[in-house]
Amino acid sequence: MNNRLKVLRAERDWSQAHLAELLGVSRQTVNALETGRYDPSLPLAFKIARIFEQPIESIFSED
Amino acid sequence: MAKGLWKILALSLAGILAIMVLVVIGAAAAVLASERGLVQKDAALLAVVATMAVLMMALSLWLGVAWMVRIDEAAREAHKAAWFYGGSGGLAVGGVFIILASTPSAARLTLPAWFDGRTDPAAYAATGAVGLMALMLIGYGVVWGWWWLARR
Repeated sequence: MNNRLKVLRAERDWSQAHLAELLGVSRQTVNALETGRYDPSLPLAFKIARIFEQPIESIFSED
Repeated sequence: MAKGLWKILALSLAGILAIMVLVVIGAAAAVLASERGLVQKDAALLAVVATMAVLMMALSLWLGVAWMVRIDEAAREAHKAAWFYGGSGGLAVGGVFIILASTPSAARLTLPAWFDGRTDPAAYAATGAVGLMALMLIGYGVVWGWWWLARR
Protein backbone atom coordinates (compact mmCIF):
# COMPACT_ATOMS: atom_id res chain seq x y z
CA MET A 1 0.00 0.00 0.00
CA ASN A 2 1.25 3.49 -0.87
CA ASN A 3 0.75 6.56 1.26
CA ARG A 4 1.42 10.31 1.25
CA LEU A 5 2.42 10.51 4.89
CA LYS A 6 5.90 11.86 4.24
CA VAL A 7 4.59 14.59 1.93
CA LEU A 8 1.81 15.58 4.31
CA ARG A 9 4.22 15.69 7.22
CA ALA A 10 6.73 17.77 5.23
CA GLU A 11 3.99 20.23 4.23
CA ARG A 12 3.37 20.88 7.90
CA ASP A 13 7.06 20.95 8.71
CA TRP A 14 6.59 18.27 11.35
CA SER A 15 9.33 15.94 12.46
CA GLN A 16 8.74 12.19 12.60
CA ALA A 17 8.99 12.43 16.37
CA HIS A 18 6.26 15.07 16.48
CA LEU A 19 3.93 13.04 14.29
CA ALA A 20 4.70 9.98 16.40
CA GLU A 21 3.69 11.89 19.51
CA LEU A 22 0.44 13.04 17.90
CA LEU A 23 -0.37 9.47 16.85
CA GLY A 24 0.75 7.91 20.13
CA VAL A 25 3.24 5.60 18.41
CA SER A 26 7.03 5.38 18.27
CA ARG A 27 9.17 7.29 15.75
CA GLN A 28 10.25 3.94 14.31
CA THR A 29 6.61 3.15 13.57
CA VAL A 30 6.14 6.48 11.76
CA ASN A 31 9.25 5.71 9.72
CA ALA A 32 7.95 2.23 8.85
CA LEU A 33 4.63 3.78 7.80
CA GLU A 34 6.28 6.44 5.65
CA THR A 35 8.47 3.96 3.82
CA GLY A 36 5.36 1.91 3.06
CA ARG A 37 6.82 -1.15 4.73
CA TYR A 38 4.16 -1.25 7.41
CA ASP A 39 0.45 -0.86 6.77
CA PRO A 40 -1.45 0.68 9.69
CA SER A 41 -4.51 -0.84 11.31
CA LEU A 42 -7.85 0.80 10.56
CA PRO A 43 -7.93 2.66 13.91
CA LEU A 44 -4.46 4.08 13.26
CA ALA A 45 -5.35 4.95 9.66
CA PHE A 46 -8.43 6.85 10.90
CA LYS A 47 -6.28 8.65 13.46
CA ILE A 48 -3.80 9.64 10.75
CA ALA A 49 -6.67 10.90 8.58
CA ARG A 50 -8.06 12.93 11.48
CA ILE A 51 -4.69 14.50 12.25
CA PHE A 52 -4.09 15.52 8.63
CA GLU A 53 -7.80 16.44 8.19
CA GLN A 54 -8.09 14.41 5.03
CA PRO A 55 -10.09 11.34 4.01
CA ILE A 56 -8.24 8.03 4.37
CA GLU A 57 -8.40 7.33 0.62
CA SER A 58 -6.53 10.55 -0.15
CA ILE A 59 -3.66 9.48 2.13
CA PHE A 60 -3.53 5.75 1.40
CA SER A 61 -3.82 4.07 -1.97
CA GLU A 62 -3.42 0.54 -3.31
CA ASP A 63 -0.19 -0.42 -5.08
CA MET B 1 9.73 4.67 25.17
CA ALA B 2 5.93 4.59 25.05
CA LYS B 3 3.92 6.16 27.84
CA GLY B 4 3.38 3.92 30.84
CA LEU B 5 6.35 1.67 30.11
CA TRP B 6 8.54 3.36 32.74
CA LYS B 7 5.81 2.70 35.30
CA ILE B 8 5.83 -0.99 34.36
CA LEU B 9 9.61 -1.12 34.74
CA ALA B 10 9.43 0.58 38.15
CA LEU B 11 6.65 -1.75 39.31
CA SER B 12 8.62 -4.74 38.04
CA LEU B 13 11.71 -3.71 39.97
CA ALA B 14 9.57 -3.20 43.06
CA GLY B 15 8.03 -6.63 42.49
CA ILE B 16 11.44 -8.28 42.12
CA LEU B 17 12.62 -6.62 45.33
CA ALA B 18 9.44 -7.73 47.12
CA ILE B 19 9.97 -11.32 45.93
CA MET B 20 13.60 -11.24 47.09
CA VAL B 21 12.53 -9.99 50.54
CA LEU B 22 9.84 -12.69 50.70
CA VAL B 23 12.37 -15.35 49.70
CA VAL B 24 14.83 -14.23 52.38
CA ILE B 25 12.08 -14.21 55.03
CA GLY B 26 10.76 -17.56 53.79
CA ALA B 27 14.24 -19.09 53.72
CA ALA B 28 14.97 -17.84 57.24
CA ALA B 29 11.66 -19.23 58.48
CA ALA B 30 12.35 -22.54 56.72
CA VAL B 31 15.83 -22.82 58.26
CA LEU B 32 14.47 -22.05 61.73
CA ALA B 33 11.61 -24.53 61.32
CA SER B 34 13.90 -27.29 60.07
CA GLU B 35 16.44 -26.67 62.85
CA ARG B 36 13.67 -27.08 65.43
CA GLY B 37 12.56 -30.25 63.70
CA LEU B 38 9.16 -28.85 62.68
CA VAL B 39 9.71 -29.61 59.00
CA GLN B 40 12.29 -31.50 56.96
CA LYS B 41 14.99 -29.33 55.39
CA ASP B 42 14.29 -30.55 51.83
CA ALA B 43 10.55 -29.98 52.18
CA ALA B 44 11.14 -26.46 53.50
CA LEU B 45 13.53 -25.68 50.64
CA LEU B 46 11.03 -27.03 48.11
CA ALA B 47 8.27 -24.83 49.55
CA VAL B 48 10.45 -21.69 49.43
CA VAL B 49 11.76 -22.33 45.91
CA ALA B 50 8.32 -23.31 44.59
CA THR B 51 6.80 -20.12 46.01
CA MET B 52 9.61 -18.03 44.56
CA ALA B 53 9.31 -19.73 41.15
CA VAL B 54 5.54 -19.20 40.97
CA LEU B 55 5.84 -15.56 42.05
CA MET B 56 8.67 -14.88 39.58
CA MET B 57 6.83 -16.45 36.65
CA ALA B 58 3.57 -14.67 37.57
CA LEU B 59 5.47 -11.37 37.71
CA SER B 60 7.17 -12.11 34.38
CA LEU B 61 3.85 -12.93 32.74
CA TRP B 62 2.26 -9.78 34.14
CA LEU B 63 5.22 -7.70 32.93
CA GLY B 64 4.96 -9.22 29.46
CA VAL B 65 1.22 -8.60 29.19
CA ALA B 66 1.46 -5.06 30.60
CA TRP B 67 4.28 -4.28 28.15
CA MET B 68 2.44 -5.78 25.20
CA VAL B 69 -0.76 -3.78 25.73
CA ARG B 70 1.14 -0.49 26.05
CA ILE B 71 3.48 -0.65 23.06
CA ASP B 72 2.21 0.60 19.70
CA GLU B 73 0.74 -1.65 17.05
CA ALA B 74 3.87 -1.95 14.90
CA ALA B 75 5.96 -2.97 17.90
CA ARG B 76 3.25 -5.49 18.78
CA GLU B 77 3.32 -6.90 15.25
CA ALA B 78 7.09 -7.27 15.53
CA HIS B 79 6.67 -9.31 18.71
CA LYS B 80 3.91 -11.43 17.17
CA ALA B 81 6.10 -12.20 14.15
CA ALA B 82 9.06 -12.90 16.43
CA TRP B 83 7.00 -15.22 18.61
CA PHE B 84 5.54 -17.19 15.71
CA TYR B 85 8.37 -17.36 13.19
CA GLY B 86 11.31 -17.07 15.59
CA GLY B 87 9.80 -19.26 18.27
CA SER B 88 8.68 -21.85 15.72
CA GLY B 89 12.13 -21.81 14.11
CA GLY B 90 13.73 -22.40 17.49
CA LEU B 91 11.29 -25.22 18.21
CA ALA B 92 12.07 -26.79 14.83
CA VAL B 93 15.80 -26.79 15.59
CA GLY B 94 15.10 -28.20 19.05
CA GLY B 95 12.83 -30.80 17.49
CA VAL B 96 15.76 -32.17 15.49
CA PHE B 97 17.66 -32.78 18.72
CA ILE B 98 14.61 -34.35 20.36
CA ILE B 99 14.24 -36.79 17.44
CA LEU B 100 17.98 -37.51 17.46
CA ALA B 101 17.73 -38.29 21.17
CA SER B 102 15.51 -41.27 20.30
CA THR B 103 18.31 -43.01 18.36
CA PRO B 104 20.36 -45.81 19.96
CA SER B 105 23.62 -43.91 19.52
CA ALA B 106 22.20 -41.01 21.56
CA ALA B 107 21.80 -43.40 24.50
CA ARG B 108 25.59 -43.85 24.54
CA LEU B 109 26.29 -40.10 24.62
CA THR B 110 27.87 -38.70 27.73
CA LEU B 111 26.45 -35.24 28.08
CA PRO B 112 28.02 -32.58 30.25
CA ALA B 113 26.05 -31.60 33.32
CA TRP B 114 24.89 -28.04 32.80
CA PHE B 115 22.43 -27.82 35.67
CA ASP B 116 24.24 -27.13 38.91
CA GLY B 117 26.69 -29.95 38.16
CA ARG B 118 23.95 -32.55 38.57
CA THR B 119 23.37 -35.53 36.25
CA ASP B 120 20.05 -36.84 37.57
CA PRO B 121 16.92 -37.09 35.35
CA ALA B 122 15.38 -33.84 36.66
CA ALA B 123 18.61 -31.96 35.91
CA TYR B 124 18.75 -33.35 32.37
CA ALA B 125 15.06 -32.49 31.84
CA ALA B 126 15.73 -28.93 33.02
CA THR B 127 18.80 -28.71 30.79
CA GLY B 128 16.69 -29.77 27.81
CA ALA B 129 13.96 -27.27 28.66
CA VAL B 130 16.48 -24.44 29.07
CA GLY B 131 18.15 -25.45 25.79
CA LEU B 132 14.82 -25.34 23.95
CA MET B 133 13.97 -21.99 25.54
CA ALA B 134 17.36 -20.64 24.46
CA LEU B 135 16.80 -21.77 20.85
CA MET B 136 13.36 -20.16 20.82
CA LEU B 137 14.74 -16.95 22.30
CA ILE B 138 17.53 -16.83 19.71
CA GLY B 139 14.94 -17.28 16.97
CA TYR B 140 12.74 -14.65 18.59
CA GLY B 141 15.58 -12.13 18.72
CA VAL B 142 16.66 -12.77 15.15
CA VAL B 143 13.16 -12.37 13.71
CA TRP B 144 12.39 -9.33 15.88
CA GLY B 145 15.58 -7.63 14.66
CA TRP B 146 14.89 -8.62 11.06
CA TRP B 147 11.30 -7.29 11.29
CA TRP B 148 12.47 -3.83 12.27
CA LEU B 149 15.47 -3.79 9.92
CA ALA B 150 13.18 -4.65 7.01
CA ARG B 151 10.98 -1.66 7.87
CA ARG B 152 13.61 1.01 8.25
